[in-house]
Amino acid sequence: MARSAVPETSLTRHWWAALTGGDNRLVRAVARLPVTVRTKLLVGFLVIAALLVVVGVLGLRFLGQANGRVERLGTLQQRAAVYNAIQTEATLLRQLLGFRAGGESGPAILTGAKTSLGGRRWVLVDGEIDFALSQLGPATSEATYPFVPPADDERLLERIRGDHRTIGVDLVALTKLDRSGANDSRGRRPLAAAINADQDLFEVTDELAGRTTDQTDALIAANRSAYTSSRNLFIGVGAGSVVLALLLGLILSWSLIDPIQRTESRLAEIAAGDFSGHLDVANRDELGSLGSNVNRMNGELRRLYGELETASRHKSEFLANMSHELRTPLNAIIGFSQVLRQRLFGDINEKQDEYLDDILSSGNHLLSLINDVLDLSKVEAGQVELEVADFSLRETLERGVVMVRERAVKNGVQLSLGLTPDVDTVRGDERRLRQVVFNLLSNAVKFTPAGGNVTVTTARVNGEVYVSVSDTGPGIALADQERIFDEFQQTDVGVQHGEGTGLGLALSKRLVELHGGRIWVESAPGHGSNFVFAMPSEEP
Amino acid sequence: MTGDRILVVEDNELNMKLFHDVLQATGYTTLKAYTGEEAVELAVSHVPTLVLMDVQLPGIDGVATLARLRDDERTASIRVLALTAQAMHGDRTGFLDAGFDGYLSKPVDIAELLRTVEELCRRGKRPRRGASLIDRE
Repeated sequence: MARSAVPETSLTRHWWAALTGGDNRLVRAVARLPVTVRTKLLVGFLVIAALLVVVGVLGLRFLGQANGRVERLGTLQQRAAVYNAIQTEATLLRQLLGFRAGGESGPAILTGAKTSLGGRRWVLVDGEIDFALSQLGPATSEATYPFVPPADDERLLERIRGDHRTIGVDLVALTKLDRSGANDSRGRRPLAAAINADQDLFEVTDELAGRTTDQTDALIAANRSAYTSSRNLFIGVGAGSVVLALLLGLILSWSLIDPIQRTESRLAEIAAGDFSGHLDVANRDELGSLGSNVNRMNGELRRLYGELETASRHKSEFLANMSHELRTPLNAIIGFSQVLRQRLFGDINEKQDEYLDDILSSGNHLLSLINDVLDLSKVEAGQVELEVADFSLRETLERGVVMVRERAVKNGVQLSLGLTPDVDTVRGDERRLRQVVFNLLSNAVKFTPAGGNVTVTTARVNGEVYVSVSDTGPGIALADQERIFDEFQQTDVGVQHGEGTGLGLALSKRLVELHGGRIWVESAPGHGSNFVFAMPSEEP
Repeated sequence: MTGDRILVVEDNELNMKLFHDVLQATGYTTLKAYTGEEAVELAVSHVPTLVLMDVQLPGIDGVATLARLRDDERTASIRVLALTAQAMHGDRTGFLDAGFDGYLSKPVDIAELLRTVEELCRRGKRPRRGASLIDRE
């Protein structure tokens, strides 16, 4: 079913067949693995789970790497900010020191001041420088960093701190001189030293800031490329895992589905009575043993079926032989009696004639017994095949009445046939139904005392044809009414009669049932009997 | 009566006696064969008007014997009446299809047997298939 749903392109079909067919080498290989289905499924699921774990771990690792890079970038940016702040302070310091040295330029707070400021006048500028230095101080103190500076930075920072200290010491000296109002010439030395240190500070700060900016740029570039390669790797591994898992699932399921499908169709064949096939399942798991059990069952059924056929044939042969063996002596008994009674070889006296009648009636009784036994055996062996055709039920009933008329007249029984016009042509095996009708009529005539009536009537009720044979005989007790349809069962009246085999009604029942009908009796002791059989029949 | 010659093929001694005596008493000439082979020989040598053929015979059975008779030009047009103790339903048409001219089941009613024998003897030889073809040409 699933295969026919695949588009009819030869390429697709080829691939689909290659992936899902039981003849696929991989599928066969998995099928042949000598482990249970449970283990196979477990391993399959574990492999798929492992692939999921691999993809997950890889993803987490990439996420961790990305996070690390983001953190490093954040630290770098923090470093850059700190270093930039240091650079700003250093720049301010440089300007202030330059102003202090030459006085050509200065911060806005000093505008309006005269260019030649002596001694005490510089105290203000010194204060500014001191303030700038104090700003620089915390920037160079590691304790205030939100990060741990790397060794390279640490070295530069150490230099910055050294310069800071130098400038601080020089500034203290300078300030002292300024306060004392000393001449400029005495203050030049610490100033020059401070400017020197500041020069170094500026360079180092610049280098630090520049290097940090470069590192940041490099890290951003590295991030970009790392992200791209991580993404590609992740997509690759993820897609590979999905394909691998799908392939594994497909192969695993087809190594199971294919044998199940084969087994299913083989079982359908067996159920339909075809024992000729052989189920070929390559699996070495439960399905394999299922397959071999199906084959064993098939073999056993084939053997039993063969034996049954042989037994049935033997039974048929036996029945045919029985029929032949019993009829052959009967032919002589009945034939010679008839020859004598017809006086073909001379006259016989009355007593001899009477005895011949007795021999003939016994012979005929034996014949009907043989016929009934054989018929019943054939029905039970399922060897009676109805020759179903449309026939006139009216004619069949008329013929049945004719067959028992002689005896009815002899017994003084009135026979009547009451037919309804809506019952004529019916479908069935005329010969067999005539047998039933004859049986019921001969029973009725047999048990009805002189002066009584036997009436045959028909009716059509709810798609069934009813044929009833009623008599004014002794009737049948309720307890006997079911029993008389069983083999070799007769009522006491029947036994006393010394006639009949106890097979007629049993056979009639089987024959009616073969037609899909039913037969029953309505009776009460002293009120006669009414035997009815009903057969399904379509409206004409 | 008619003096027609009737070949009785029957393996059972008593039944043979019955058929033989009845037919002789009725005025027929009878020939006795206990097997199919004997029947074919006698049919060729005596060309009876009618063959009373028991179907269940030792050796070749009645149907095979009939086939031999029909295959031989000398015996092909002899009337053959099947007698069988194996009265299975549906046999009648089967025997007629096999080429028998009539069929009676055992035990046989003597009056019916005599009626049937008389009727078949009255009808005479079977129309011959080969002859009818030649006539047409």
